[in-house]
Amino acid sequence: MFYRLAGVHHTRYETARALWPIPADRKQVIVAGLIALVAPFFLSTLYLGSYMLPWLIWSSAALSLTLLMGMAGQLHFGFASVMAIGAYTSIHLARLGIPFELALIGAGAMSAVIGTVFGAAALRVKGLYLVIATLAMQYLVDWVIINVPAISGGAQATLRTPEVSFLLFPIESLTSRYYLALGWAALLAVFLMNVKRTSFGRALTAIRDKDFAAAVIGVDPFRYKLMAFFTSSFMGGVTGAMLAFCFYRAVTPEQFSFNVSIQLVAMVLVGGLGSVIGGFLGAAFVLLIPIVLTNFVAGLAASGWLAISSNLLAHVPLMIYGALIIGFLLLEPLGLAKIYDNTRKYFLVWPFRHSRS
Amino acid sequence: MGAPTNGDRSPVLVCDNVSRWFGGLHALKHVNISVAKGEVFGLVGPNGSGKTTLVNAITGFYPPQEGKILFEGRQINGLKPYRIAETGIARTFQNVALFKGMSVLDNILMGRHIYMKPNPLASLFYWWWAKKEEIAHRKKVEAVIDLLQLESVRDEHVDVIPLGLQKRVELARALSAEPRLLVLDEPMAGMNQEEKEYMVRFILDAQEALGLTVLIIEHHMDVVTAICDRILVLNNGSMIAEGPPREAIADPQVVEAYIGKQRDAA
Repeated sequence: MFYRLAGVHHTRYETARALWPIPADRKQVIVAGLIALVAPFFLSTLYLGSYMLPWLIWSSAALSLTLLMGMAGQLHFGFASVMAIGAYTSIHLARLGIPFELALIGAGAMSAVIGTVFGAAALRVKGLYLVIATLAMQYLVDWVIINVPAISGGAQATLRTPEVSFLLFPIESLTSRYYLALGWAALLAVFLMNVKRTSFGRALTAIRDKDFAAAVIGVDPFRYKLMAFFTSSFMGGVTGAMLAFCFYRAVTPEQFSFNVSIQLVAMVLVGGLGSVIGGFLGAAFVLLIPIVLTNFVAGLAASGWLAISSNLLAHVPLMIYGALIIGFLLLEPLGLAKIYDNTRKYFLVWPFRHSRS
Repeated sequence: MGAPTNGDRSPVLVCDNVSRWFGGLHALKHVNISVAKGEVFGLVGPNGSGKTTLVNAITGFYPPQEGKILFEGRQINGLKPYRIAETGIARTFQNVALFKGMSVLDNILMGRHIYMKPNPLASLFYWWWAKKEEIAHRKKVEAVIDLLQLESVRDEHVDVIPLGLQKRVELARALSAEPRLLVLDEPMAGMNQEEKEYMVRFILDAQEALGLTVLIIEHHMDVVTAICDRILVLNNGSMIAEGPPREAIADPQVVEAYIGKQRDAA
């Protein structure tokens, strides 16, 4: 039972294209899923509410962005604004008494429409110019939210989320919020894996890899880029609403500032472009490493191993963090997902070095 | 070889007085061709003579500024490349243009794009919506994989297989679109003798099995004379000879274009 590829022969196209064609992977997913399901029963409130819950929601955000950046190859440096549109839309819809389920869909739709409008304007340009164009979206949306009292509730205002219920379950306790975020992250993960094995995902990847070759076999590049913007923004909008309702429970414009967009890009890049597991790993890296580094450096300073001023102490973790991201992109451009994949492949055929096929 | 079995010689592809400029460069000068159904039509000429430009004009990348291009009687110049693909024309590129991030199988499946209805909801509800379509097209693609003997590399990433196989994958991608006109831009460039022979065999097999009309750019004269029914020789964008390959190649103008004019004895 060491050689995990032993006896895996697919004789039907359905099974060869299953989500996890190899039983070893399937078992891993089941174990991970079970752990995620029972986490509220053995994790303390602190870990569940401050680590697991934000990790799941930011993973959802990274998954939303990776469809656009990783699969379709369109860089987006204003994705936090897409999430902001979703968060504010869902809050206002819920306050109007619209059921939460519909408010979520409305949030997604609003983000998708506005995101696609900016996308259409930006799609005449490529690469770095697209980055600048999407930055413009970030600042425009930020400005509108801050300066229109009907949206933000006035300057410096904080909008609290109303009490809602999802499919009759009240979304109030930490556990219920955790399960909602878990469900959304799982749905996005399955969706992305399905996209990758269907014609939609192939068309997006084709445009990313060689747009003229895609055109010559019948892919309309503009149409598919817009579809990528639409789908990705829809997912981002709903994730923004999840962030507002499940985690922050009150929104201010600063929660969706430019820094957040950069963090999202970092999650996607460090995790691995276009990878589902990379979305989860990248979000974990970007969320956890600063905390770990800060604690580590502070611990060193407190124990007297490191004699630095408290001013410097606040910046050292940030520097290490930046260096880590640069190091990752230099040494493993395909991100944590690639490292995971290498490890997985090693153990799939262990004790052998490699398999025949 | 390649001659149609029925008496149908209606032209599939007609280029009528096609001209194309790039700035001051007159890259195609009033080119006329008429390719009959089932024919293997060769485009020959020295480097820079306009062969690829003509192919790019036909497939919509550089629409001609003058003249008309008709495919099965329908005017296609002015259509976008992806619309031309939908009319039933598929092509390969001189420098392999495969999708590097995908497996061989996914690359070939891309050829089925015009017959599929990709949308995000179909992907989301895969088991109830997209699955049936995917499997059906997979079956079609497997037939092409079988025809071109690509079974052994089906699941490999395209950037790790040798160039000869990459060119075959590109041919497979074009064939899986079930085109009625196949345009090949130097399918044998950079190949050794054995790979060339394989490629010729595959092109002829495919042409026979699928009833294709083929427009092929090729530099290897042995290949051209062996498989083409007729050829057109271009030089500096002008047509200098047309006809059965051996006769066209023997034309004094063609000899001059390739190896220069013999100096007058002095």
